[in-house]
Amino acid sequence: MSPGPAALLLAALAAAALLAHSPIAVAVIAAVLLAVTLRGPRERRGLYLAGVLVSCLSLLVVTPLVESIGYHVLWSGPRIPVLGTLDVTVEELRGAAVQALRLGSVMLAFAAYALLLDHDRLVQSAGFARRSVLAVALATRLIPTLERDARGLVEALRGRGLAPAGVRGHARLLSPLLAGSLERGLGLAEAMEARGFGRAGRTSVPRPPWGVLDRLAILGSVALVAAGVLWL
Amino acid sequence: MALASAEALTFSYPGAARPALDAVDLELEPGELVLLLGRSGAGKSTLVRAFAGLVPHFHGGRFAGRVVVSGRDTRRTHPADLAGTVATVFQDPEDQVVMTRVAAEVAFGLENLGTPPERILPRAHAALAAVGAGHLVERRVAELSGGELQRVCLASALALEPDLLLLDEPTSQLDPEAAEAFLDLVARLARERGTAVLLSEQRPAAALERADRVVTLGSFCADGPPEVEEPRAGAELVCRVEEASFAYGERPALTAASLTLRRGEIVALTGPNGSGKTTLAKLAAGLLEPASGRVEREGSAAFLLQDPGRYLVRERADEEVALGAGGDLERARAALAEVGLAGLDARHPRDLSSGERERLALATVLVTEPDLLVLDEPTRGIDPERKAELAALLRARACGRATLVVTHDRTFAAAVADREVSLAAAPAREAALA
Repeated sequence: MSPGPAALLLAALAAAALLAHSPIAVAVIAAVLLAVTLRGPRERRGLYLAGVLVSCLSLLVVTPLVESIGYHVLWSGPRIPVLGTLDVTVEELRGAAVQALRLGSVMLAFAAYALLLDHDRLVQSAGFARRSVLAVALATRLIPTLERDARGLVEALRGRGLAPAGVRGHARLLSPLLAGSLERGLGLAEAMEARGFGRAGRTSVPRPPWGVLDRLAILGSVALVAAGVLWL
Repeated sequence: MALASAEALTFSYPGAARPALDAVDLELEPGELVLLLGRSGAGKSTLVRAFAGLVPHFHGGRFAGRVVVSGRDTRRTHPADLAGTVATVFQDPEDQVVMTRVAAEVAFGLENLGTPPERILPRAHAALAAVGAGHLVERRVAELSGGELQRVCLASALALEPDLLLLDEPTSQLDPEAAEAFLDLVARLARERGTAVLLSEQRPAAALERADRVVTLGSFCADGPPEVEEPRAGAELVCRVEEASFAYGERPALTAASLTLRRGEIVALTGPNGSGKTTLAKLAAGLLEPASGRVEREGSAAFLLQDPGRYLVRERADEEVALGAGGDLERARAALAEVGLAGLDARHPRDLSSGERERLALATVLVTEPDLLVLDEPTRGIDPERKAELAALLRARACGRATLVVTHDRTFAAAVADREVSLAAAPAREAALA
């Protein structure tokens, strides 16, 4: 499948998960996206899956504590200023699970896009908004680049006999990581300008014509969003 | 008529106390290869950027004088509009890669210039073949070694078929054979296509043989060997690597390599790109554990990585160095002075030039006073005068420790090392320096 229709299909799945009201429908979409993401390279998918798991669990834990809906109380805790009485109801837990699945679906769709699609072909085949597509593709690369930079910083510190320990030790790496990213971004922008980026009359490597599968993916994307709005 | 010229070019970066370029005059004729030399911070990279139009358009700052390329004044021509007429290869290949695959990366510039679609891939493939990187065409950029990436960057520039090719230390990550082949290619390009080439280099020996003209910015001292002490015989063993092998995932990086390092000696570890030099050095320093074989080490080890950007954790140079000295700022300042950075104690490490960053990184490992000091390409981005000073410094402090220097720089290896270990083929061959 061409990367354009594949990206559209992933975006449609994420949109359907956000639009659907049925918890089962959202769970099915999340399961499908998880199965797709698991087809990504083993050495790279772990970081994305860990991010999805941590984010979904955090949402699942925090949401019932800050919401106040439902009457079937499972646990009642102390009264906290501003927040009120901490309690967990069946309704809050169900709502939190749906929200966590929605978040998980969006994150898994992005993970599948980052791990499985050929971003170069996506940029080259972008008929419009090519700059935006390139910006997204470059931003996607930020995650593995940051991971590599973080590994490099830790390795350099180990080489000086200073292995960072604990959450605080690793948190201190955030500032140099951010500064390094900004510096790298400037270098990249300069190199792109020197290579004619932004000049009028840009052309593109010829792209292969779309096949039956690509057309089906586009139709499927439209159908998924419509189903999310109307039925799910 | 000159293809490109700089007339009384003076330029200061925003907020800089002194100009990076001061009244520079230079003319570049079609088909000539001009070698640009000068100390770190002399303005070589800035001059390269001025001919690309990036100075002043991208960097801002105060610009006086005039730069003309193919009849176009760079003050009135945007760098993107000069692209194609001019092509630039920057110092750090990792910071100039846009796409994820090699073929798309080389095609990127051609697409920007509006090359007819059916001609983009043939030109990209031809450029890759010209730099001996045709076999990389389907590879992911993230999987390439530094040397391979440098070739891809050169191919990206050559594919544009420019009139003026600007190369800012393009061979810094290539082994000597690859660097010579690269320079041959550039010289042939100048000769056969009439391309003017401005080449900035810190390892000028090979480039000098091929250059039509040499231009020196600021004061410049020729490379020269420092005082060399006699190697110590029968000294204490600090590190022994026996039949060590290592693989990154499923890709083997080193097979059954051996190495011994004794207190008081300096060993140069050489070999072509991808031969496993860095991997062996990391095994020796304990940053990696061998998949098979054995590594024994006595005492502490410090390792200097190739990328000085990894040593920019704190916001002052002296605090950065003091990290490895238990916060002792006095020792840190002494270490900074030792590598020629006296007076820059309070500077933010990211405000230092690339050569100064290299020396800051060196200070961060020297200050730890290890029993085993491992330096991975410590002369990258350092001018010949500083290389001579570095060799002298390492020699002066060699007696208390074992030192392993991974390098492509034959002149530096000959100047600093007692013996050389070559990783041309596994297992490692040890040989005395002539």
